[in-house]
Amino acid sequence: MLERLRHPWSDNRAERTLGAVSLLVCALVVAMVVFVGIHAWPIFEHNGLSWLGSGGDLGRQLAAMQNTTQHPPPSAYHLRAWTLIYGTLLTTAGAVVLALAISIFSSIFIVELAPVRLRRIAIPVIRLLASVPSVIYGLIGILVLVPFVGNDLISTAQKESVQNVVELTGAGLSVTVVILTVMITPIMVALICEALVSVPNSWREGAVALGVNPVRAMLAVTLRAARPAIVAAAVLATARALGESIMISMVSGSRAFSPKPIDGLVFFFEPLRTLASGIVDYHEGIGAPALGSALYAWALLLLFSAFVLSIGGYLIKLPLRKYQVRG
Amino acid sequence: MNRIRRLSLAFAVTGVVGVAAPAAASAVTKITISGATASYPLVSLLAQKYIKTHPKKVSFKITQGGAQIGVNDVAAGRVSIGDVSRDPVAADPPGLVFYPIAKYGICVITNKSNPLANLSSAQVSSIFTGKTVAWSAVPGATASGPIDVISRTSVAGVLTNFTTLFLEGKKVSTKAAEEPSEGLMRAKVESDPNAIGFVSNYQSDKGTVNAVGYNGVACNHENVKNGTYSGTARFYEVTKGKATGASSAFIGWIERSAQAAKIINTQWLTI
Amino acid sequence: MRPKGWEESVRLEGVERMLGRPPAMRGGRGKRSSPTTWRWVDRVALAFAWGAGIGLCLVAGAIVVYMAYRGVQYLRPELLVQRPAISTSQSGSGGFLDPLIGTALLTVIGILLAVPLAIGGALWIVEYGRPTWLARMVESSIEMVAGTPDIVIALFGLSLFQLSFMAPFSFKAEGGGVFGKSYIAAGAMMSLIALPPLFTATRDGLQAVPGHMREAAFALGKTRIATIRRVLLPSVRSNIATGITLGVSRIIGDTAIIVLLLGDSLRIDPQGGVPGLGVLRGTGSTLTSYVYNNSPAGEASAPQKAYAAAFVLLLFVLALNLLVDRIGRSQADATGLTVAGATV
Repeated sequence: MLERLRHPWSDNRAERTLGAVSLLVCALVVAMVVFVGIHAWPIFEHNGLSWLGSGGDLGRQLAAMQNTTQHPPPSAYHLRAWTLIYGTLLTTAGAVVLALAISIFSSIFIVELAPVRLRRIAIPVIRLLASVPSVIYGLIGILVLVPFVGNDLISTAQKESVQNVVELTGAGLSVTVVILTVMITPIMVALICEALVSVPNSWREGAVALGVNPVRAMLAVTLRAARPAIVAAAVLATARALGESIMISMVSGSRAFSPKPIDGLVFFFEPLRTLASGIVDYHEGIGAPALGSALYAWALLLLFSAFVLSIGGYLIKLPLRKYQVRG
Repeated sequence: MNRIRRLSLAFAVTGVVGVAAPAAASAVTKITISGATASYPLVSLLAQKYIKTHPKKVSFKITQGGAQIGVNDVAAGRVSIGDVSRDPVAADPPGLVFYPIAKYGICVITNKSNPLANLSSAQVSSIFTGKTVAWSAVPGATASGPIDVISRTSVAGVLTNFTTLFLEGKKVSTKAAEEPSEGLMRAKVESDPNAIGFVSNYQSDKGTVNAVGYNGVACNHENVKNGTYSGTARFYEVTKGKATGASSAFIGWIERSAQAAKIINTQWLTI
Repeated sequence: MRPKGWEESVRLEGVERMLGRPPAMRGGRGKRSSPTTWRWVDRVALAFAWGAGIGLCLVAGAIVVYMAYRGVQYLRPELLVQRPAISTSQSGSGGFLDPLIGTALLTVIGILLAVPLAIGGALWIVEYGRPTWLARMVESSIEMVAGTPDIVIALFGLSLFQLSFMAPFSFKAEGGGVFGKSYIAAGAMMSLIALPPLFTATRDGLQAVPGHMREAAFALGKTRIATIRRVLLPSVRSNIATGITLGVSRIIGDTAIIVLLLGDSLRIDPQGGVPGLGVLRGTGSTLTSYVYNNSPAGEASAPQKAYAAAFVLLLFVLALNLLVDRIGRSQADATGLTVAGATV
């Protein structure tokens, strides 16, 4: 039998083997969706889609779920997780918008404006930033930024203004968004730089020849041509921000609270919880069936949004195809 | 060449199986424990000592999560023993047996920069239920500004005991931050000058936070020992039905042996 | 204008190669217009660009410098070789040898499982790829895995390995529940994390191999599979190396899967008597979960140990980064082709 294995395979057999291996990857993805869906089903069964809405204190609902036995009554499955969804939307949108602005301008700086020596330092440094593990960001956040914000930035008056509703300890929206931005910017910078460089130089030179200054030429010509890449970078960054769990659970404060914009400046200091960080925070209670279903339901929502993101990115890039720049 | 390869492969397989069989026969029993974060340091130390004095008999896998997690896990058969830091309640699943192993004190703690010496039960009650919101309303406190109440998540046994012993059953205010473990509770109070919380005396004795006296009695190991401190509770080891086999041997060792008593008496109290 | 064929086979040039050329080849800057003559919008944009660029470099530098400062403050060589111990104080709690071994073990398992999947998949897509709808499905699946949050992959792993027939991969607790957390479980999910970068790097490398190499092999009478074995795979060796390095750096940095799937025991805790298999079925910790547990967000709250371990982690990541750089540069010098950039 070993003889037959050692002789060169026929192309047919090789094709079928490799095809089976590729199919295995597909099967894993399908299995992931199926398994998560099966475990999440009880929440949908008992709440319909209204578990995505708001109503009641999420902390108390999860507490009720944890204090049940192996066969919980239907009332234990009651869940209104809008607080988490709102927290996820806030942090992701805030971080992506900030990161877009910063990374576009940084890319212009690196590709066009920086002196050569600065460029040589900047690129490896930014690539390093992209590979720093999230737990190190979380460590710096919780040991440096949170005490700084809590003790030096938030005034006592501000704390007192909301003291009947929530406590401000420094861990909250601002620190979360700042660190999340720092985490996703390097990814976007790398992609956008690559795209800016790949736009044919002659286009930009044509603009400069017509008398446009270099920065405007960059903005008006090269940046516009690199739009598919910017969309791809934004989609990648959003997916990363959505899925960030450990760092956010370390710095976002331990309350499932919906920060209110009407609170003015205090809005930026209020604690929150996101879908991913909620899963990490409650993962030890996964043995309680109701809470386990809730965690899987949140995971299903995250899976669904990652899926929607990649389809959305593809759709946005379609009309931009005409520029024929690699996206 | 071919034959040599085949023969060597056969040898390798037999060798692995040959090693595996006797090794598997002498496998040690594994005791799995999960539950309260307050008793985790104690049970870990006890397990370490037990392995040293009974080598090659058992191995332990200890996780945390909270007293209620321990109760749920042991009732579902996921672990052999549950660590529980509160007394049994009516809602607990039937068939569980609670073995008390140690006593501990619950201390109210504040930040080191706020050396509050004492609180009466009325004051503790009104602070933690959210009626008193500013440090200025608390005599003896040097902190200013709003009171940051830090509590525990609902699965914590220490929380159940705290509400029974200190708050007479009233619930902690919904504004309070809910920390999932004692370590995090202590870390929170350490870093926030306006914080107030509650931990077992093991954590407060570390000296990084200020332990507040309760009704005139300081909260430390000596006062818990001589009985003058009123906020004491018990740690239990819980099994489904009566403990059997390795779990029973371990629990019996904790209850009866002198080495276990020595470990317990360092920071806690034997029953 | 370059001929299309050549352009297709030259990979996108990294920014460095662009910068390495003399100004004349870049289209030449010539004389710049001075910013004082521009409109104010452009001046503001110029200021922003400089601010953003310098700011980003400063932030990166600050992070590295601060971690290095804290690391040097708290890291002692003994920590690297001592086993961690349960203790009530920072001085008695030992080092992080077990987390180091755990990280290495997990990385090996993850890469071993990911390599056949990724390379097999990339080969099939580039060399065969029929039917086309299947090829597109495979590519989309890999994209989906790339975009999935690691916490969701961890939950999937938990649900998979807690099935009763998966008991051999961890152990069965007394009441019949499968524990589901072990090195094998975490390693299997880590392979999913490392799969997309490895697949992308291999696929891009294979696509960059010029068609005439394959045609020459066919002309000599080799079958497709022989061409793959003898011609293509050796020529994409450095792509595979880059992909593996990218995968390794993703595995090393992942915490969520460890927290959920490695059964968080401080020391490596083998399960069952068989020497090698016991460790695989057992639980342990890695550098990332050690840092997490010792930070104020975790149980032990020993910031000194957390800083020391975090510094070691950062050094590993730095070393991996340099490795990717080195491989990319040597590949570029040797063949004029460059390797896919260090993105996903």
